Amino acid sequence: MADYQQSLQAKLIRFGIYAVLVLMALWYLAPLYVMLSTSFKTLDEIRAGNLLSLPGTFSLDAWSAAWSTACTGVECGGMKSYFANSLKMMIPAVLISTLVGAFNGYILSMWRFKGSDMFFMALLIGTFLPYQVVILPMAQVLGWLELENSTGRLVLVHVIYGLQFTTLFFRNYYVTVPGELVKAARIDGAGFFRIFFKILLPISVPTIMVCLIWQTTQIWNDYLFGVVFSSGEGQPMTVALNNLVNTSTGVKQYNVDMAAAIIAALPTLLVYMVGGKYFVRGLTAGAVKG
Amino acid sequence: MTASRQGAPGFSLSRLADVILPKLVLAPTVLACLVGFYVFIGWTAWLSFTESRMLPRYEWAGLVQYVELFGNDRWWGAMQNLGVFGGLFILVSLTLGLLMAVLLDQKIRFEGAIRTLYLYPMALSFIVTGTAWKWILNPGLGLEKLAHDWGFTGVTFDWIINPDFAIYTVVIAGVWQSSGFVMALFLAGLRGVDDSIIKAAQMDGASLPTIYTRIIIPSLRPVFLSAFMILAHIAVKSFDLVMALTGGGPGFATDLPSIFMYQHGFTRGQLGLGAASAMMMLFTACAVVMPLLYSELRRERRG
Amino acid sequence: MGALSIRNVKKSFGNTHILKGIDLEIEKGQFLILVGPSGCGKSTLLNMIAGLDDITSGEIAIGDRVVNKLSPKDRDIAMVFQSYALYPNMTVRKNIAFGLDIRKVPKPEQEEIIARVAKTLQIEHLLDRKPMQLSGGQRQRVAMGRALARNPTLFLFDEPLSNLDAKLRVEMRSEIKLLHQRLGTTIVYVTHDQIEAMTLGDRIAVMKDGEVRQFGSPQQIYDAPADLYVAGFIGSPSMNFIPVQLHEEDGHAVVELDNGRAVQKVRLSPISDSQRDFVGKQVVLGIRPEQLTDPESAHSERGNLQTLQATVAITEPTGPDTLVTVTFNGIKTVARCHPRAAGAPGQQVELTLDPTKALLFDPASEKRLA
Ligand SMILES: Nc1ncnc2c1ncn2[C@@H]1O[C@H](COP(=O)(O)OP(=O)(O)OP(=O)(O)O)[C@@H](O)[C@H]1O
Ligand SMILES: [Mg+2]
Repeated sequence: MADYQQSLQAKLIRFGIYAVLVLMALWYLAPLYVMLSTSFKTLDEIRAGNLLSLPGTFSLDAWSAAWSTACTGVECGGMKSYFANSLKMMIPAVLISTLVGAFNGYILSMWRFKGSDMFFMALLIGTFLPYQVVILPMAQVLGWLELENSTGRLVLVHVIYGLQFTTLFFRNYYVTVPGELVKAARIDGAGFFRIFFKILLPISVPTIMVCLIWQTTQIWNDYLFGVVFSSGEGQPMTVALNNLVNTSTGVKQYNVDMAAAIIAALPTLLVYMVGGKYFVRGLTAGAVKG
Repeated sequence: MTASRQGAPGFSLSRLADVILPKLVLAPTVLACLVGFYVFIGWTAWLSFTESRMLPRYEWAGLVQYVELFGNDRWWGAMQNLGVFGGLFILVSLTLGLLMAVLLDQKIRFEGAIRTLYLYPMALSFIVTGTAWKWILNPGLGLEKLAHDWGFTGVTFDWIINPDFAIYTVVIAGVWQSSGFVMALFLAGLRGVDDSIIKAAQMDGASLPTIYTRIIIPSLRPVFLSAFMILAHIAVKSFDLVMALTGGGPGFATDLPSIFMYQHGFTRGQLGLGAASAMMMLFTACAVVMPLLYSELRRERRG
Repeated sequence: MGALSIRNVKKSFGNTHILKGIDLEIEKGQFLILVGPSGCGKSTLLNMIAGLDDITSGEIAIGDRVVNKLSPKDRDIAMVFQSYALYPNMTVRKNIAFGLDIRKVPKPEQEEIIARVAKTLQIEHLLDRKPMQLSGGQRQRVAMGRALARNPTLFLFDEPLSNLDAKLRVEMRSEIKLLHQRLGTTIVYVTHDQIEAMTLGDRIAVMKDGEVRQFGSPQQIYDAPADLYVAGFIGSPSMNFIPVQLHEEDGHAVVELDNGRAVQKVRLSPISDSQRDFVGKQVVLGIRPEQLTDPESAHSERGNLQTLQATVAITEPTGPDTLVTVTFNGIKTVARCHPRAAGAPGQQVELTLDPTKALLFDPASEKRLA
């Protein structure tokens, strides 16, 4: 009897746990659902229905408007050129910062020299700083460099301020690799670059993934650097999206806003779906630094 | 016979390479880090002691900008908002994250899928999050209308345009985005707890809730610390979320130091004031993080 | 000219002096053991020979070439590491070929070398596996294979056997010894295991705190340890150290051992000059357990054996012998006895001591009184 009661109680508790977990899942999913369903509605449907109502006809008008005709201020070319801007900025910035970070991590773990540990600390402290404290001088320096191209400016800035993270990822991995591996390779006659490319890089694939994914999401999602260091047609997707949503001219087209927001979210969502494992690992690893 | 060989290579090129190459390859990063952070911080500090407006000027002007900043109601409003937003954001995220982690730790079926759902907002840009929530919280067509459609006609939900409540909408959106991540941190921490400790406690007859509150959660102290620091960091530099959600409004109801800094430094031609506010943000970040870090380091050193 | 000369080599990291002036020299084909406790600087010294660590001061010569300023690859050495350090992303074959590749050895010749090495070490069937797919012992062989392939003038081993289980360790130990006898290469071998040191080495350098305490053949180090540290480090179970007062009688050194019931006088070898300075003072008597045994096991042809009475405290059978712990001068002293003569705790036993093997040490300087 007591056993029976106990197991009933246990069942109830488990049911409660699942109920809470499912509710939480719904709360995380709801905004995505709202965004998607709104983007497929017409403006009339939006006014007639509510947030959770399904679109009557799956209209792709808002999507095509968001992609190619929506207006951000005076420009009316949709998001496509800004999407391209973000890609053009992201790809080189991610690749460069990852490669350089890998080299840095390799040096800071396998080729330590006097002062290298101190430099690593200096780099780590950098990760704590709010970027607001460096953007004024950065804008000045970019002006002096006469680097007019927005994409070029953003690549430079993202590389500089991404290096701390990529370096951290690789260093933290390479300190777990026995240093004897590098010693053995040196005795075999391999030099600095050969050891890196032939021995360490091939075993770093998971770290490379973490790094690529982390940098991709960071750079794609950035807004501060985008709004400060780019201008006009050279702006990245996040800035354009915010402009679109906050444009006060004409009728507010919520469906277009939502379609544009999803377009802006798609690349990183895709990355998350493909490499979620690495994404989480990057977050928790990046977390160690704060 | 030995003379010629003994002297052979006084040095070897590859040895030189071993010494120089690492430093050479690291040099650009050293430069980027030193200039990008440390020189620029000094530079910002210097600007904050000048009367720079549209253009930077470098004549020493003492504390004028700080005097102006501390006399500026908007600044104090922004700091107050940061306090409210930061405090609630951190508190709710930690609570929710810990709760979800503990629940997920109960050998849940589909754990992987659920975790994936909880964490996806972290992959989004704050701009996207802000845009989505701005629409959801839309006073005419958003949640309020949903409530009306469901028959709760008396409900008004206009927080996003209500100066007294707008800051809480920022908290909601922020928590939505970041709590899943806190959950992931705690879950990793829970998985790292030594199983034998739990088994020993069970032998002693401790119940599951007791084991959690008395043994497991206290042992997660380092996770609390790092989660706190990350959340505090997100809060202090939080900018994009508010820009997309409320633009700092209505009025200055959701203004934050980061927005204050951006507007004075970049759109209002008040470089000096912008720099002073940036320095204050730096101090705020340090003030939050340093004591914690310090106490933790001391604990570790004491063993 | 020796095969390897180390002359007054020092190493410091900042203000910490890790190696405090090492002098060693070995001939071609010799097997040098660096042995000592953890942290005494063995690996550091080996790394400096290899060129992996900088030399703070002093000189290292391999053959007749001073190599201080040469990088590892120009030193004509090969090295085997404790963690084996196999390249995880390469097959065994590639692992062995890596160094040859870099040295631009032609492919056909590489194949030949790999085949020869694989045959020597019996790893032919493993050539296409990755290190992950090998057992500890197999990895060990591959690591040796990688070193052998290069056919260098000097082999360096850094505790190559310490990750293996006891049985495999003994097996590999004799294989290394066999290999050395067959190939006749010069080897420097680091270990903290004194049995490995005794069984493998031609020459042993016993290190402690960055200094070489004694450098000599295994027998020298065993029979005539330079100081208390070396005496205690080499030999298992380790040497008994009994504080005694030194006397002189008829030109012989004489000490007294108190077994708790009676004081027994022990007559040692003829006293030497350095010992004579200590007459009337406290010294330390060093006796190895195997020199303190039951009368039956003692080599009776040796005259002048001293007989001692003692009370058994503990007996520890090891199989062939039983270790019997007794007390002399308040110090627990281990004797190695025949199992039949070991007695039981509380019993009186009779032990014999070979006085010519007993050693005396100065308790202050810890040096042996020769
Ligand atoms: N880079 C370094 N900086 C400072 N001290 C070091 C460094 N490398 C080694 N040491 C110190 O040098 C001493 C000798 O180290 P080494 O590795 O040579 O010891 P070992 O005799 O090989 O010990 P083990 O048997 O544990 O391998 C140790 O006390 C170690 O802490
Ligand atoms: Mg060592």
